[in-house]
Amino acid sequence: MQDFLELAVSATASGCVYGLVALAYLLMIRPTGIINFAVGEWAMVGAFGGVVLLTKYEWNYALGMATVIAFMAAVGWATERIAVRPLVERGAPILAPILALLGMVMVFRESISVSFPPDPHAVPYPFGLGRLEWGPLGGSYQSFFIVAVSLLVFAGFWLFFEKSLWGRSFEAVALNRRAAALMGINLSRVTSVSFAGGAAVAGLAGLLVSPNVSAHYLMGVPLAIQGFTALVIGGVGRVEGALLGGLLLSFAEQLAARYAPIASGFTQGVPLLLLMLFLIFRPTGLLRARA
Amino acid sequence: MRSLLFATLALFSAVVFSQPTIKIGVITDRVGVSKPYSEPSTEGLIFGAEEINRRGGILGRKIELLVEDDQSRPDISAALARKLIDQGVVFILSMSLTPATQQQQTVTMEAKTPQMTPMNSGDTLTTQLPNPYFWQTGPLGSIQIATLLAHARAKNLKQVALITDNSDLGQLLGRFFKAGLEKSGIKVVAEEVIPRGATTASPQMQKIRAANPDAMFMAGVLTAENVLIFKAYREFGLKFPIHSSYNLSVPVYMTVAKGLIDGVTFVDAYDPEKPQVKAFEAAYKKATGKDSFNLHGYGYDGIMLVAEAIKAAGSTDKEKIRAAMQNVKYEGVMGARGMKYSFPEGKRAGFDPNGMVVRVYEGDKQGRVIYTGQK
Repeated sequence: MQDFLELAVSATASGCVYGLVALAYLLMIRPTGIINFAVGEWAMVGAFGGVVLLTKYEWNYALGMATVIAFMAAVGWATERIAVRPLVERGAPILAPILALLGMVMVFRESISVSFPPDPHAVPYPFGLGRLEWGPLGGSYQSFFIVAVSLLVFAGFWLFFEKSLWGRSFEAVALNRRAAALMGINLSRVTSVSFAGGAAVAGLAGLLVSPNVSAHYLMGVPLAIQGFTALVIGGVGRVEGALLGGLLLSFAEQLAARYAPIASGFTQGVPLLLLMLFLIFRPTGLLRARA
Repeated sequence: MRSLLFATLALFSAVVFSQPTIKIGVITDRVGVSKPYSEPSTEGLIFGAEEINRRGGILGRKIELLVEDDQSRPDISAALARKLIDQGVVFILSMSLTPATQQQQTVTMEAKTPQMTPMNSGDTLTTQLPNPYFWQTGPLGSIQIATLLAHARAKNLKQVALITDNSDLGQLLGRFFKAGLEKSGIKVVAEEVIPRGATTASPQMQKIRAANPDAMFMAGVLTAENVLIFKAYREFGLKFPIHSSYNLSVPVYMTVAKGLIDGVTFVDAYDPEKPQVKAFEAAYKKATGKDSFNLHGYGYDGIMLVAEAIKAAGSTDKEKIRAAMQNVKYEGVMGARGMKYSFPEGKRAGFDPNGMVVRVYEGDKQGRVIYTGQK
């Protein structure tokens, strides 16, 4: 039982990271229909923001984190301006910006690859490397920190979409772009903000996970895959679906690795199996979008 | 007299510069998964080539390196080997991953062009293809495990855990480690894999904890995933000793695994007290202004060994270089004190089985040599 509770903390923390990456996808897919696989690279850039501000210049963690989030929002905004808007304005099919963003994956990765030495880089823990016992639950400080920050982010975005006029305008664009434009909603601004928000969330995910996995230039692809799988599982329609998908994915991964009576190497197939099952039997994910 | 000396030197220089260069191909990884290993090794190789050229080159001719990037992708790698051969290289040095090096062999064997990897560790590189034009001087995975086991033998291990990652090389080394352990009569009670991109190693380390091993052997080569293992080990308060592959010998662990690695033993091909190592480190620092470490040494030894072979061949004829290479003996930066690379009895893996050392992390620093060889 102690093992299970220990694993529950670790899986919840990993699930929150996957959920944040899924949320980054969702923020852009909902209003624009564009799947942006560069979210993994954005997470990587966020982690390197931590390397520069927190490791190299030893900034206060909260200030460093806020700066990284703001910087990533600017990166997302610029990405939309450079790689998406020119294509949309020329009436290109939806596949065109998706492919352009795939190209941006290489731009981000190689920019980091040539700017930093190739080895992984340490990013400091905000509360150090220690273990917290909380009732029957036990885990690293960082696990609890990731869970707390992620829950705050998800609660914030849920309130944004459910309670604010801005959030409603996002939903309106997601439901019918033409009708939303006729109602006076500025589609370009919604697209810009969705990319800025997606990049900020992805960068935060990278920053949160980087003390555990170290920042390195190849860390983006696995995060992009895990986040996308979480999105498919949870569904692209609802903020809480991203979190649910992330948690389900990480629990499946870690419980299989710990308890499944199969060789350790084979447990890597569990997330893929889960993805295939959802795509075949429930392609809309666990939570459907509201009508 | 002095003017005569200058005139002779000027004439010699003119002769040297008028000679065509000796082209040596280098296939490295500048952007792929092997970049953290390939980059410093290639820097060491380039430094070695510059040093040779400063001393006047080989056979009175300068070395010209033609460097290509294969991203550690076997499909690209073979095409690059062909391109280099078409450009007239007399030798190819392979500095990326084992599968890429293996793929290059299909070209070098057919084109009868000498090829060597000074850094790959896979045991199968010289056994899968009967390629008389290929040599390997990186320490084999089997030598690593044999050295680690020789060191661990005194500790009377009965049952151990084995952990690796899902990279090609990590899987390969894991198999060598397991075979070596079982051959020594040591039971592997837990065998775990950390997938690339994992965010935790907790489930795997829980399984190892439950198996209650006397020690844990690490065969993984992915730094970030290895750090996850150390973090889970410390978080769970585990006490069994850890013995690692040469991957722990790269200095990046001193920063990314700070506070996590004290007491971890690892196998290395680098003895910091060896005179050749001290001379190499000083010369590299003087020439580049940067510190060097073991990976630089692999590339440096590689180009020096090739230079020795070409010198011994007395020609850039590929067949003569092949014959000379098979008979070469060279004491370089890597390996225990007194170790020489050689290829006796037609063998093409040239790292001495007794040439590795076991070192221990003392605090966050790579510490002293505590064991040498397999005896």
